[in-house]
Amino acid sequence: MTEHSLWRFSRAFHRAINERQFADLEALLDEDVDWAIYGPIDLFPFFGSRRGKAAVIEVIRQIADNVRVRRFDRESIMLGTDSASSMMRYSLTALDSNKPISLRIAHFAQFKAGRLTNFRVLVDSFDLVEQTVGYPIHLPRMAV
Amino acid sequence: MSADLHRQQVLKFLEVFYSGDIEGALARCAEDIEFLANAPVDILPHMGHRRGKAAMREMWTTVNARYSEMRYEVPILVAEGDKVAAHIRVFFRKRSNDRVMQFDIAGFYTLRDGRIAEIREIIDTFDLVQQVLERDVTAVLTGGEPDGI
Repeated sequence: MTEHSLWRFSRAFHRAINERQFADLEALLDEDVDWAIYGPIDLFPFFGSRRGKAAVIEVIRQIADNVRVRRFDRESIMLGTDSASSMMRYSLTALDSNKPISLRIAHFAQFKAGRLTNFRVLVDSFDLVEQTVGYPIHLPRMAV
Repeated sequence: MSADLHRQQVLKFLEVFYSGDIEGALARCAEDIEFLANAPVDILPHMGHRRGKAAMREMWTTVNARYSEMRYEVPILVAEGDKVAAHIRVFFRKRSNDRVMQFDIAGFYTLRDGRIAEIREIIDTFDLVQQVLERDVTAVLTGGEPDGI
């Protein structure tokens, strides 16, 4: 049974972030890969959309410059033929402050011939921003 | 039941829910349905954790009361076994001022006996809060002008 493309991508992605080894990941990206992490790009410049292998490798370098992955747990996972989705809990360390960050994300990945063609990541970003600034953000309560 | 059937059941649920048919959507849910959306509940008190049809009805009635029109797209859907994950792009028109909010949801559905038994949602909550409150929260945090957006 062939290993699903997600597992190869996941190993290469985490190796790129923690060990700054990008070669394995580069080989698993489609030349025209479409990449997006949804979140406030003014606060986290490595969020947002990227197109093409070079742009994606560059943004992963930026992520590697900012965080280290201490641990991740997949709370839910679905594997399709050429697609996959997971809901995950990450424990990260912010490299500039050495502060721990706990992050919940969901991702949707699509592959073609074993290479990543489309990657979408949704982040519980309000919680992330509060952890990053280090205090709760007080805003008016929405009327119910 | 096959993943394909579950995929169709979730797509039908989304069609019914975003048409505003709360009772139709509830009919596709298990009695003890569990819902969890990670969101700042002090700002968005109708979100968070809900259990059972009555609690879901209350939450969805609140949503319907605030928005006059709901549209959605599903660019990606992945199904395996009794689980389905959907990337949903939604467009909500506010009743208060007719402005349209657009945001993305990662919806994770678990089905049991043909009904939705669990919904987990991950949302870009910072963007959602800014659009709900019509405030540029980034500007507040970075010392810029905290104007409405």
